[in-house]
Amino acid sequence: MSQTSLAIINARLIDPASGFDGPGGVLIEDGVIAQFGTEIDVDAADEVIDAQGRILAPALIDLRAAKEPALTPDGETLSTLTAGAAKGGYGTVVLAPNLRAPLDKADGFDGMTKGFGRYGVRVLSACAATQGLNGQHMSEIGLMVRGGAVYAGQGDHPIADALTMRRLLAYTSQFDVWLSVRPADTALSAGTVALESDWSARMGLPAEPAISERIAIERDAALAELTGGKLMIDRLSTQAGLKALQHARRSDLEIAATTAVAHLTLNEVDAGALDSAFRMDPPLRAESDRLALVAALADGEIDAIVTDHRPTPFDDKGEPFALAIPGTMGLETALGALLALVHDGEIELIDLLRALTCGPADLLGLPQGRIKVDAPADLVLIDGDLPWVCKPDDFESARGNSAWAGRRFQGRVLQTIVGGVTVYNSKV
Amino acid sequence: MTRAEFSYDFPHRHLISVADLNPVDIQIIFERAAHWKALNRTTNRSSDHLAGLTVLNLFFEASTRTQGSFEIAAKRLGADVVNFAIEHSSAKKGESLSDTARTLAAMRPDIMVVRHSATGAPHFLAERTGLSVVNAGDGMHEHPTQALLDSFTLAQHWGEVGGRRILIVGDILHSRVARSNIGLLNILGAEIRLCAPPTLLPPDVDQWGCDVFNDLDQALEGCDAVMALRQQKERMSGGFVPSAREFFHLFGLTHERLEVCSPEVLVMHPGPMNRGTEIHTKLADDPDRSVILEQVESGVAVRMAVLELIGDVIRREDAS
Repeated sequence: MSQTSLAIINARLIDPASGFDGPGGVLIEDGVIAQFGTEIDVDAADEVIDAQGRILAPALIDLRAAKEPALTPDGETLSTLTAGAAKGGYGTVVLAPNLRAPLDKADGFDGMTKGFGRYGVRVLSACAATQGLNGQHMSEIGLMVRGGAVYAGQGDHPIADALTMRRLLAYTSQFDVWLSVRPADTALSAGTVALESDWSARMGLPAEPAISERIAIERDAALAELTGGKLMIDRLSTQAGLKALQHARRSDLEIAATTAVAHLTLNEVDAGALDSAFRMDPPLRAESDRLALVAALADGEIDAIVTDHRPTPFDDKGEPFALAIPGTMGLETALGALLALVHDGEIELIDLLRALTCGPADLLGLPQGRIKVDAPADLVLIDGDLPWVCKPDDFESARGNSAWAGRRFQGRVLQTIVGGVTVYNSKV
Repeated sequence: MTRAEFSYDFPHRHLISVADLNPVDIQIIFERAAHWKALNRTTNRSSDHLAGLTVLNLFFEASTRTQGSFEIAAKRLGADVVNFAIEHSSAKKGESLSDTARTLAAMRPDIMVVRHSATGAPHFLAERTGLSVVNAGDGMHEHPTQALLDSFTLAQHWGEVGGRRILIVGDILHSRVARSNIGLLNILGAEIRLCAPPTLLPPDVDQWGCDVFNDLDQALEGCDAVMALRQQKERMSGGFVPSAREFFHLFGLTHERLEVCSPEVLVMHPGPMNRGTEIHTKLADDPDRSVILEQVESGVAVRMAVLELIGDVIRREDAS
């Protein structure tokens, strides 16, 4: 349902890019923002929405969602993935490589990205840094970047070998794309399913010490400095890793960091009953890690929050904790889970939204993610207080693996607009 | 303490972790185990306590002694026993554990005895099937019947385990036997000591209610019982310990080293033993010190007690 012009007025307008949080509205014309602020020319609009003081912000951007392989029986398709994303307030989703769909083949890559135009939500794709994410042999990164890849990633697989990492950073630097790698020392973390802690030791779970992340960040930051490559820390999850990141930022190098919703909102105690839904990669951490990450987010040290959305077949979650496939779905639940941090007074809304909008947009050089004249009209209207319960049966997706199943949330998306077109409306 | 004094019925339909038991539960298990142990020494050792109930031995990890012990225990109680040995590789398999569990549950067994390489698998199976589950070892987590039979063996010698000083020596890090024993001995009020090289100790193990040593001679001082753990051969070749020989010289139990213990010290081992790695062969065979074969005998009696008590709970639930 395309509108030539749409005005949204009487909103609490939040634009993290400019730091604005106050009353206002926007006028959308031809898919871009034509006016914003308190003085909106409503007479020029074909349709006017009275937001009644609710939150109007740039639509959210996710840099890390896994797509199931095409034609997977009972699987999540791009149609249902984007429908769930729209419902969760996302206007842009970047597909990231994972073992099931490694995105490591240059053949057909541009064809795939060209097909993304038909989903209301903007879909982008990253590509695999190494063939089959094996961490050894480079994939055709250059051809895939030409085919539309927006960064090179490694799924859950760290690069064990420093020489390979050096070459990857050097090679990707010529395309000016980020190399996104999970920070983990492969030897310390191999075969582990939990954080090394009192709980995991008592449970007899194979566990990785938090410093595994720190060691990897220290190594990779040094290699980024050596090569001039752009290093994206993929899902920073520990306080030890955060310290290494802060240290690295004192040097002149290009380094960015993302954190997953799970690590900002859950901790290892949530996994205490060994429910496979809480099996994550990286594993859930200590509460002190979570608090440090939230503080870093508030300070702007985390560039982007990722959903790490991962639809999983029942069979893979139908295993005990240690054997279950890691991951949770997240596109529909991210905002609900994260708003709890705002309601609990752990972070200001604008600081939270920064890492969900202009933060990731700036990393990839995208024009959306901000409220600005001539910026794409990608917007989300949010009722910050509306209570709801997370029920996987209600998900748009055929999958239902969620670490937040049964959780009570406060705050929900009412309407998502992408390029001036409403892609989700809770009233419809 | 006897059961009559408490007029308390054993309430558990599972045995998944020793942490689920209180001292009275343990006392009840020991009383019944003593009964079965005495009976097992006669030729009149069969009963019909579990007649009509089906016990499924579900072993995802190979085991001869534990599976055999459970099988004998269930058969002596008159249960129908079916053994399933399921080769399980986490890499690629036909169906999920959840589906396997539901398939087996549809055959309507009453009790599942489960051994699995993953922590929490017995709990997971109990949750998914609703059947009674006895944990026969899950990963590096727990092996509750082993801990019960160890304490029962000691209680048979001493009357009470509480107040005694007991040392566990060897690979604590990878041992479910150690974790269950530490839990159970704490409940029973024993003084627990652990001794191992730092590479074979869990992080912060001193927080578990035990004293931790790296020096065996210090650790042995005044001990009433010493429990050696089985050392996996593949961990004795440079990974965790340089060699089996070095391990024996630092942590192996011998008659000479036991001289600092209490004069009546008992030596235990959950088996299978590596003679000359964790224990000197003469000590293992010394009838005045070693209670290793007694542990095996107690094992059948304790497992009979556990199966019997759980069977009673199942029948009570069925009647109500």
